[in-house]
Amino acid sequence: MAESERDDDHPVPDVRLSGITKRFGDVVANDGVDLTLEKGSVHALLGENGSGKTTLMSVLYGLYDQDDGDIYVRGDRQEFDSPRDAMDVGIGMIHQHFQLVEPMTVLQNIVLGHEPTEHGLVDIESARTDVKAITDRYGFDVDEYLDVPVRDLDVGVQQRVEIVKSLYRGAEILVLDEPTAVLTPQEVQGLFDVMAELTASGHSLVFITHKLDEALTAADEITVLRDGGVAGTVDAADATEQELARLMVGREIDFDRQPRETTIGDPVLEIADLYVSGDRGLEQVSGVDFTVREGEILGIAGVQGNGQTELVEALTGLRPVESGTVRFDGADITGTSRRDRIEKGIAYIPEDRQEEGIVMDYDLVRNSLLGFQTTEPYVERGVIDWPAVRDHAEGIVEEYDVQPPDATTRASSLSGGNQQKFVVGREIEHEPTVMVASHPTRGVDIGSIEFIHDRLLELRDAGLAVAFVSSKLEEVRTLSDRIAVMYEGEFVDVVDPEAVTEEDLGLLMTGADPESAADHPAAGSGWSDGGTPAGDRRDES
Amino acid sequence: MSGAGSNRARAVLDRIAARLLDASVGERIAIAAASMTLAILIGLLVVAFAGYDPVQFLENVAIGAFGDANALARTLKFTTLFILTGVAVAIAFRAGVFNIGVQGQFVVGGFATVIAILELAPLLPTGTTGGVLLMILGTVAGSIAGGAYGALPGILKAYGDANEIVTTIMLNFIATGAVGYLVDGPFRGEGNRAPNTARIPEYVSLPRVVFDVPDFSVVGLAVTLVVVGAIAWVLARTRFGYDMVTSGHQVAAAAFSGVNARRTVVATMTLSGMVAGVAGALFAIMIQGYYSDPAGIGTYGFDAIAVSLLAANNPLGVVPAGFLFGALDSAGSHIRINSDVPVQLIDGIIGLVVLFVAVPELFRMAAERTGLGGEN
Repeated sequence: MAESERDDDHPVPDVRLSGITKRFGDVVANDGVDLTLEKGSVHALLGENGSGKTTLMSVLYGLYDQDDGDIYVRGDRQEFDSPRDAMDVGIGMIHQHFQLVEPMTVLQNIVLGHEPTEHGLVDIESARTDVKAITDRYGFDVDEYLDVPVRDLDVGVQQRVEIVKSLYRGAEILVLDEPTAVLTPQEVQGLFDVMAELTASGHSLVFITHKLDEALTAADEITVLRDGGVAGTVDAADATEQELARLMVGREIDFDRQPRETTIGDPVLEIADLYVSGDRGLEQVSGVDFTVREGEILGIAGVQGNGQTELVEALTGLRPVESGTVRFDGADITGTSRRDRIEKGIAYIPEDRQEEGIVMDYDLVRNSLLGFQTTEPYVERGVIDWPAVRDHAEGIVEEYDVQPPDATTRASSLSGGNQQKFVVGREIEHEPTVMVASHPTRGVDIGSIEFIHDRLLELRDAGLAVAFVSSKLEEVRTLSDRIAVMYEGEFVDVVDPEAVTEEDLGLLMTGADPESAADHPAAGSGWSDGGTPAGDRRDES
Repeated sequence: MSGAGSNRARAVLDRIAARLLDASVGERIAIAAASMTLAILIGLLVVAFAGYDPVQFLENVAIGAFGDANALARTLKFTTLFILTGVAVAIAFRAGVFNIGVQGQFVVGGFATVIAILELAPLLPTGTTGGVLLMILGTVAGSIAGGAYGALPGILKAYGDANEIVTTIMLNFIATGAVGYLVDGPFRGEGNRAPNTARIPEYVSLPRVVFDVPDFSVVGLAVTLVVVGAIAWVLARTRFGYDMVTSGHQVAAAAFSGVNARRTVVATMTLSGMVAGVAGALFAIMIQGYYSDPAGIGTYGFDAIAVSLLAANNPLGVVPAGFLFGALDSAGSHIRINSDVPVQLIDGIIGLVVLFVAVPELFRMAAERTGLGGEN
């Protein structure tokens, strides 16, 4: 199977990807991507969530079969049926979510699946010697933890265990999938030191990130992906954050902003000094203040994983706050339940419609009751009036153009766009005062995007206070009356959509200051526990 | 870890899981019927290999389950208990909570029923009126006790993050041990040699209609069916049921819609335990008439898990599933006495049927929980 492109005169790159195309149904996740990883170098793969970084690396690691294009490893063309094949030629992958068995010790984890055996028994002492040799060679501080259960270790050490595990299996080419997302700043620096050690000894690394400063600091070359294709490959030494931000975001056609027909009214939602923790107890929202008024759309822009999810959940009553206040129509609702807020008039289009917004196994009739469990006439004294609910569902399906137009369809058989139209419609049917929306058009087809945008603008014109989170810049700019840019739990700036370029917005989103980004590239690399960057997840629509 | 091999295995599992998850109700009934036939065929082969006459054995099964009025009454007696305990399990499973503690709730409920009746009997008139009143009060006491005993692991799960599978299993042992101690000591009936409570008064018993047997009354079966209907109605037609079932499908969607996850867990476990308590009350009033060491009574609460799985956790489906289990148990006790086939072989064959019939459903649930079978 191996066709060699070896040529004794030129050094052969460790990995060359040529024209890789990967489709999921109608969605093109990678579109003719080329990438060359030179031996002993770090190649950063930069891009927004959904730009195709993880898909590309999954192709390289044998998790996906590419639809088109070739993989060359050290000059030989390879076809990978599974990660095992990729490992056999020395490719290792460090996943965002560690593949470690928590109750087992570090040493057991490292040798798992590749245990040295003697007479059919695991020879743990010979394994210990081998692992020590690796840790000594690279100066890893892992050897002191060899007999400690993995669950007792810090995240940073666990990550090094993952790296040692790959090295133990003979990996020479390592793919690090957003390795900094889970680390503290000190740990990030430690990781960069480890990466430097590895390249110095001839290993090659692909470093996936969406943070500009990290790419500039740690990489030799940077390839920027946008919408599944290569937006550009640059030498890290010559690149600037501005250039990278432009590549990442791209130049988009400016949509015509609708002229406003209504005036902005009284404050409806007032947030003061809000602190919120994430699922793992780490602070995700760090002192946010803002107000949303009647007839106004506040867009919250940011790269996913910078606290938007937690902020929205705190507004809608799904997540308790650590401190600060949420006021609605002047009343303090900080401690009230989700149910109370629904009844007060805070509607919510959730981030993950297939987990939160709809029950996939229910038909649309049953789904139309979701959130309306205390609303008459659908439920009276705790008893459901299903015929009334059915009318309600049919009304939503008709008015919001849900296809197929049949309320007895199971939600899971609807396309993503139609699921979302149903959710949007149902939430509007609450006749709310405030609409909170999280990534309202993610994974949704163009037609539905326009439909949903129009609905949100109608809500604004009807005098609602609308707050929505998005990482799509043109969407934020088209819809918003004001844009708050969120980075690492804080609003770094609140800007006028007329007065900001997408490029500047992109820079703000990655924590850089557009005024001075060129001067000090490491700007804004403050603490980062990253929370749960949702990875490059694609909704099938 | 083991690369290609595990990937391929996973792909195969995925395909099977997807097929099972997509199966319609009709297909699932067909799967259950085919599984049962297959299990019985294998069972008959085992009987034949063990040197017994399989035809004779099959005949004994039929006679034992439905042969005469007594056999049918015995079948229906077991059926009653399997239906109630099965519904108790189904309620929890539908809400995504694993109540493995139905046995303990059944025991605590039954014991509470006997004690309540014994304590209240002197205060109330004797005769039919007093009997009916005592049975109602006893059943209420049983369901309250069972409900409280179910609420406990519910509270531990909701507010202490304690895994309900572990806590309910442990509470089963505690129930058996504690009630065993109580019937042996403080509540032992006067003059009893065995560790039993005193008998409840003669007039506290269900009427013998249709079947003239001491330990089954169609009234008991009727009460059971009323409970089943009520639970089915709660799940399908009330907000409480909708909240519970939605939590069972997607916890995040339930939270999104304003359901308080913790309260729902506690309420689910309470309701489940109450139904188990009613089963305990029926067992105490209709079958035993006193309470004995729970280590010696049947493991209805455990078999109920298989009953519920067989019924795909649908309360209405629990009725035929409970009937199947009742018939098998009844046939088992007949064969035990009336043939020379060893008890172990009979139990083994019942186990085979349970295994064959319940496992496809169990696998379905596991697949749903673990996300096998892909996004659907």
